[in-house]
Amino acid sequence: MVSSSGVRERHDMSLPSDVVACLKWVSHPGEPHDERFAGISPADRSALEFALVQAAALGTTVTAVTVGPPAAEKVLREALACGATHAVHVPVHGAMHSAHVADAIAEAVPDARWVWCGDYSLDRGTGSVPAFLAARLGAQQALGIIAVHWQGDGLVATRRLDGGRRELLGVSPPAVVSVEGATAHLRRAGLSALRTAAHAEVRTVHPAATAHADDAVVRAYRPRARALAAPVGDTPLDRLRALTDSGAAVAARGDTVTLEPAAAAARIAAALHEWGYL
Amino acid sequence: MSASTTDVDVIVVGGGPAGACAALVAARAGLSVVLLERGPFPGSKNMYGGVVYPRILDQLIPEWWLEAPVQRWVTRRSTMLLTDTQALTVDFRSEAWGKPPHNGATAYRPDFDHWLAGHAEAAGAQIITSTTVTGLIRDAQGAVIGVRTDRPDGDLTARVVIACDGVNSFLAKEAGLYEHTDAKHFTLGVKETLALPKEVIDERFGVRGRDGVDIEIIGATGGVNGGGFIYTNLETIAVGVVLKITKLGAQQQRPEQIIAALKQHPAIAPLVQDGELKEYSAHLIPEAGLKMMPKMTTAGMLVAGDAAALCLAAGIWLEGVNFAMASGMYAGETAVEAIAGGDTTATGLADYQRRLSDTFVLKDHRKLRRAPELVLSDRVQHLYPTMVANVVERMFRVDNPNPKPGVRRILAQERKRAGVRRRDLLRDGWTGFRSFG
Repeated sequence: MVSSSGVRERHDMSLPSDVVACLKWVSHPGEPHDERFAGISPADRSALEFALVQAAALGTTVTAVTVGPPAAEKVLREALACGATHAVHVPVHGAMHSAHVADAIAEAVPDARWVWCGDYSLDRGTGSVPAFLAARLGAQQALGIIAVHWQGDGLVATRRLDGGRRELLGVSPPAVVSVEGATAHLRRAGLSALRTAAHAEVRTVHPAATAHADDAVVRAYRPRARALAAPVGDTPLDRLRALTDSGAAVAARGDTVTLEPAAAAARIAAALHEWGYL
Repeated sequence: MSASTTDVDVIVVGGGPAGACAALVAARAGLSVVLLERGPFPGSKNMYGGVVYPRILDQLIPEWWLEAPVQRWVTRRSTMLLTDTQALTVDFRSEAWGKPPHNGATAYRPDFDHWLAGHAEAAGAQIITSTTVTGLIRDAQGAVIGVRTDRPDGDLTARVVIACDGVNSFLAKEAGLYEHTDAKHFTLGVKETLALPKEVIDERFGVRGRDGVDIEIIGATGGVNGGGFIYTNLETIAVGVVLKITKLGAQQQRPEQIIAALKQHPAIAPLVQDGELKEYSAHLIPEAGLKMMPKMTTAGMLVAGDAAALCLAAGIWLEGVNFAMASGMYAGETAVEAIAGGDTTATGLADYQRRLSDTFVLKDHRKLRRAPELVLSDRVQHLYPTMVANVVERMFRVDNPNPKPGVRRILAQERKRAGVRRRDLLRDGWTGFRSFG
């Protein structure tokens, strides 16, 4: 926030919370001003549950953060009713680029050691905020997690890979973890907690990054065009197969190689370029 | 219980029109009010196929018509009598109904109920959603002192509980206010919402702007006693039937098949043609009036709206939301006075019954107490429509070179042909006259 004197007001914005849950409030695309049809994704609910469980284990507090319109405060009150200690609302009208959303969150909770996010929002955005946030906070990132096992001050996260494979990530703080929706089930808020949360304090902060509100250009999803070489084949059917990647055309294109990570990454990039994806 | 020993002054269970009005009145009086709603927001699970008659709103929200989420103002009211191949329509239209303070309006209940509950919230009531009340809390003397909910730490106490939990009220039953319930006292309302362009609706139903149409239908319900309806919204129409539960079960018919048949009737098909199905919904309706009403009060608790069976189904009058709003308002007023007087026993809350009795809420039900049974009787449902339609057809049919027959002769012949006994006709006519006269 820039004051009338031109000095950025950063003081008193951060909260001393070790564990943070990021919740993205999404309006219904057909009813953008009707909060009845707005909410957060199951993935964000999972993230909040993990944050609450972890904070209880560590004996620390949970701060729920959302960047969005005034109506988004509703989800923060739900988080408070479920057990979050603090709630921070970064008011923003309009869409904002993921990098700037991450900037705003990082400014609001700069000292967070654990940040929990859903790996997708209700509007199925880019899912890139957690990665940007990890970069801003200088934290490890473990994204798209499907299982968490607590281990001392850290955790071991299971991440989904292609082909039904999994990878285990040892994660230590500071870290940003994004989880899938079915990973945890958010606890049901108690009645008295709900009543109290309705009047609880929700801190409103105005990080400098919110100056970028409305900078995101939201367009319908369109896959990137791929430049394809002319299909090769003796018959129209062979050329059609080659063109549509069906049958032997795909099998002939696959390679199995064993390389060092750097060489493997270069090989993958070269293949993607060759196939027209890059 | 005293205020210091309860969590709040008033708990309202249910966020429909009755609950919203009860909470609004109590909150405006300065009481602490919690409204518990099972759905994610008030109105989210509520349905009807009908018209909101808003006179009660005049008392609660001045110039409500400037802000209420209304679809259309009903300026045209029709009653149709259908046989398989015939239709007789009595059609009335009033310009005055299109202007404030309006006579009736179509509205989407999720919008209307949400708006009304919003006024209660603005007045200070706390609305807690996605919370189901699972039972009553009583003191040692049996007085209701609160409710249990499905949430952790879910008990909440109050000096007065107002049960607006809808038809088949579990709270009223648990409190022992219903002596008995009988399936024959209920109908099943089933509705399809069909999308059509506004200009198509305007053209088909002969209206413009925000003017709308309410069509009530007798007959064409597949032999199941009940009725049909069509209401116009801005860009949708609601087409549905109200069916007697016992007959529906006995005939083993499915309600959606009955709606499908109604939509194919030659008098209805042109109205609904090419409508895109947007929603299908169903709801129980308490239609037996005084015959099924519970005791309205017990120590610490009042019942309002559909929970108190306050739904008027009297043929040409089909009303529910206005009875719900009025009973909710009176329940709220009674709670305010009882709490102010420090007496929330059954005696202290007894004034609620007087308020209902002295106003249209029970006066209309008393006056029309015979109407529901008459309207849903086999003769009115199955014999009279055929008889009347045949009489009218013969009156308007030109049988040259035969001369026109007299109406009395036609009536006599068609009464016999329809199998209607003269004494039944006279008895039903007398019952109808006493009810509607």
